[in-house]
Amino acid sequence: MTLFQDTGGDPRAAAAQLADVLALYGALGDATCGNPPGFAARKAACAVSLATVAELDAATRDALYFAGLLHAVGAIGNPAYRKGERLSERMTRIESWDVPAQGARACAEIAGLPSESADLVRWQHECWDGTGYPDQLRWHGIPLPATLLSLADAFVRAGEPEEALASVSAQAGRAFGPEFGRTFTMWFHLTGGEPEPAQVPLDALQADPAATAALLERIADRIDAHNGVAGRWRRVSRLAEAAAGVLGAEPGAARDLAVAARLYGSGEIAERAEDSESSFDPLARLGIDERAAHAVGAAAFAEGNATLGGAAAVLRARGEWFDGTGKPHGLFQKAIPMTSGILAAAIAYDSLDHKDRIEGATGTQFDPRVVRAIFDVARSLA
Amino acid sequence: MIELHERTRRISPSRIHEILMRYNCASMVDPFMGLPTHLNYLKRHGIAVHGGDLLEWFVRVGEGIVVNDLTILRDSEVAEIVEMLPGRIYSLDMFKAWEGVFFSEEQCVYLGVWHDNVRNLRSDGQTGLAILGLWRAFCYWLQKTQNPDDMQDVAPSELAWSYIRQAEQWVIANMRRNTVRQTDVLTTIGAQKADALFLAPPARNSFRSADARIWMWEAWWQGNPYFTIEHAYRDSLFGARAADPPAYARALASVLSAAESYPVVIVQTTEQRIADVESIVRDVRPHVEVVSPHPYETYLVATK
Repeated sequence: MTLFQDTGGDPRAAAAQLADVLALYGALGDATCGNPPGFAARKAACAVSLATVAELDAATRDALYFAGLLHAVGAIGNPAYRKGERLSERMTRIESWDVPAQGARACAEIAGLPSESADLVRWQHECWDGTGYPDQLRWHGIPLPATLLSLADAFVRAGEPEEALASVSAQAGRAFGPEFGRTFTMWFHLTGGEPEPAQVPLDALQADPAATAALLERIADRIDAHNGVAGRWRRVSRLAEAAAGVLGAEPGAARDLAVAARLYGSGEIAERAEDSESSFDPLARLGIDERAAHAVGAAAFAEGNATLGGAAAVLRARGEWFDGTGKPHGLFQKAIPMTSGILAAAIAYDSLDHKDRIEGATGTQFDPRVVRAIFDVARSLA
Repeated sequence: MIELHERTRRISPSRIHEILMRYNCASMVDPFMGLPTHLNYLKRHGIAVHGGDLLEWFVRVGEGIVVNDLTILRDSEVAEIVEMLPGRIYSLDMFKAWEGVFFSEEQCVYLGVWHDNVRNLRSDGQTGLAILGLWRAFCYWLQKTQNPDDMQDVAPSELAWSYIRQAEQWVIANMRRNTVRQTDVLTTIGAQKADALFLAPPARNSFRSADARIWMWEAWWQGNPYFTIEHAYRDSLFGARAADPPAYARALASVLSAAESYPVVIVQTTEQRIADVESIVRDVRPHVEVVSPHPYETYLVATK
């Protein structure tokens, strides 16, 4: 089964699918390090706008856009942010210095991305005076576009545009080269401190649908590693996709389920505490709020995304119970998408030590047909 | 006005680390280490690192951020570095020769005070951190001479304080023995056994055009504003004797020959110079992988 709709060999459509997956990746990176939603997109737009004022060529601007979008993907799985890690403040800071280099490695693995993007991610936190991280580059050893990305970060992080202007001026000769203060000031006055939303440079992406699907799987692997449950989505996905086949799910619904199986762990990604969904009995009402919160959180990542948006409904309803007592909306029986029920049952089945316990939840938490299908599939896969 | 070079060599330790991991190297020697922030990065990632350089202040910084694992600088100790201490007699005129040329009278006084205070520190680790932090304050001043209106005026002690505090953050242990030594290239190569040798040899005659931010700080550390680093390099392998291309090639070949025992040799060069360097490396090692992410950053990874 293909994960995304057939593009009919249209390279622009394939590039749009890859761009959607990259947007999701960027949003996951932001969530991991606590940035507000939309941070990466704003940073990318601001960096491109600065690059235009600095008269950088189109290829560099394109690379800068994707570097801005993916600026924080290195945080996924980094010990400073990983779920369940209990590091001292000092060790947390030291581990966080590796985020750009890990992000660069993650970007280098993405087929079709402009090759310069990875190193812009790597050097976005370098400082002019050599006190940045990870490489402690200094002076003109820092590539100009990486400094523009850093300026964009300072701008987006500042509460008010004028605050950004003051902070960049104060950091001239320290975080930024002295001439960058002038570049930023010129940009600020030309744009009024309000950069236009950037168009996604689709022509810069060399997309291949199979590679895009592989990227989504890589993202799912990183989500699971971050949550301390390596390999979980692969087991759940195998079970859920096979059960959907047994229950005769429509191809579109099966595709949404496959995407949802890869993304459902994203709801936990911003959570640092160990006491989360995976530590609760999946058949107990205790933890139902966490499950619903994770379901809604994961759905929020997919929502509004042209390629992955179909999975949002599947993700959101996976906390619902068959008897209508679930959350977040208390949907009852047929109002719950079948694929959501399959995903919920597959997740529960995967985390149970005694698999037959799931039968006790039939008719209350899970649809009996779904449970039967899960058991049939599990037997045949075993 | 003093000239600050626009192009500086870029050593990306995260990239070197990626190469070391690919070749399963757990230890590395860098005989041309320069400012050893890259060794600090590799140390932080568990690599045992050994560096060498001819300039003493680089080696002192290495003692702070590479060799020592547990150096602490308390606030009171930083204060004792950045400010004049009552009761201590300072040689306030030590750097008067730079007054009006590069720095103000106040800055020259501070350079003398810092020199004396750092010389009185209690440990090599603290000394290294202080030298690194103060050097950054010094670089800020030099940069400000070129961009007086773009950069803020910061009180010398406040600037030095923030940079020394910042330098201290990089201290970390890796449960390995790490060393730095002030010596020539061949001695450093022969003194250690390691999985990899990293070579970023200086460009031909580069010591003649050394960055002011480097040679002036050696002069500061030596307490002699008239000090030049040319003498340090004069009789070195890549000094005056390697002034012409054949002599430079011979010098590089002799370094590679001395590195015979190292399983992996990583030579950093540039796209511009790779043609000269690659043939010398290939003469000594049969397998050479070229990793070239940027025109200014090319690595020749040579294995046996």
